[in-house]
Amino acid sequence: MRLYLVAAGLLGLSVTCLGPGSSWLAAARWTSRAPRAAVVLWQAIGVTGAVAAIGAGLAVAVVRFGVGFRAGLGDLAAGLVDGHPLSGLGLPDALGLTLAADVAIVLATVVAITMVRTVRARARHRRVLDLVGIGSEEAAGALLLDHPKATAYCLPGIRPRIVVSAGALRLLHSSELAAVIEHERGHACEHHGLVMLPLTSLVEPLRWIPYARLAPTAVGLLLEMAADDYSARQHDRHDLARALVRMGTAMAAPECAFAAAGISVPARVQRLLTEDTTSRAAATAAVCAASVLLLAPFAALLA
Amino acid sequence: MARLGELERKVMDVLWESMGSEKTVRQVAEELPNHAYTTILTVLDRLQRKHMVRRTKDGRAHRYAATASREAYTAELMLEALGAAPDRDAVLVRFAEVVTSSEASVLRQALDGVAGEPGTANPASGPKAPT
Repeated sequence: MRLYLVAAGLLGLSVTCLGPGSSWLAAARWTSRAPRAAVVLWQAIGVTGAVAAIGAGLAVAVVRFGVGFRAGLGDLAAGLVDGHPLSGLGLPDALGLTLAADVAIVLATVVAITMVRTVRARARHRRVLDLVGIGSEEAAGALLLDHPKATAYCLPGIRPRIVVSAGALRLLHSSELAAVIEHERGHACEHHGLVMLPLTSLVEPLRWIPYARLAPTAVGLLLEMAADDYSARQHDRHDLARALVRMGTAMAAPECAFAAAGISVPARVQRLLTEDTTSRAAATAAVCAASVLLLAPFAALLA
Repeated sequence: MARLGELERKVMDVLWESMGSEKTVRQVAEELPNHAYTTILTVLDRLQRKHMVRRTKDGRAHRYAATASREAYTAELMLEALGAAPDRDAVLVRFAEVVTSSEASVLRQALDGVAGEPGTANPASGPKAPT
């Protein structure tokens, strides 16, 4: 009976994390004052949402052994090894097992497929880039693409590349360019590509879950802010803000109509122009909340 | 490894210089006198496997040509960088997104107010001397 209660609680936790919890976090305003901690909280509610759903399924599936969760899990595994994992399975057990297996398999497959596809696309981009990109004194630490349109980006990976175009070089003052390159270095050093990878992979297949829909945009913006902060440690934040407006405006040229319009630039510029932008209290609270969330399903199941 | 990458760039440069015509290994090697024939052959082989170079058989010799011009490859990368290509998988992390013109004027005013720089600078006029 206790296990049914635990399962119900975990299911509630999972739904809360992936539904209203995600909507709340996406709308929260404190996140821009503690972007890194907010990203950790986003990751925590995603992981907890999945782990709690899997845990709920498993809890229901082991009720029939009547020996508690940990020992029941052992019996379940023993049955699996003996080759009769489904023997003695009632309807609730079967439903629980299906839930746990589905969530685990869908998540693992989707993330793995996207990972392979992304790694391949990045490898191809890097292969071409290393042949076409030019080392430049003006843009130290970056590869230069000889193209009139303005852009700057980071190609993530084990050996990340920072790229600026000739158009960006023409558009920006040297101090602004240095701030932009440092921003991209922030993405590379803090492995933001790795943080985004699982999130972007879940958007398409799981669009009906608020978390999958909201997290990529929200976390993407927070990571930009984190990289802005990284750059601001070495460079003038106003240089970075000016560079953002110049680049954003240049990209609005009609031939770039396909480029995704976003809310990110105004929010980031305003943040850079506000002097006191970080809140240690918000960061601490977010990390604490993330830890509690991550531990909750295990505590409930193993207690 | 890094040296081989550098040599790949040099070989591609030679082939891009003579875009439209095909070169034998010997012709490429002649333009890169510091490198052995066999090294050039290895590099061309690697580039072919990367689909950067196309090989055709001409009698007993093989002739090599770049599969696309340097400009075409640059344009391809820019397409991905500017977000014109479908990029569901977040292959790269961009610096800025598009700003609408009304947003841009509001932001420029905000920048002027704080930094005191004549920030209405028309981007098309190019940068002024760094302040």
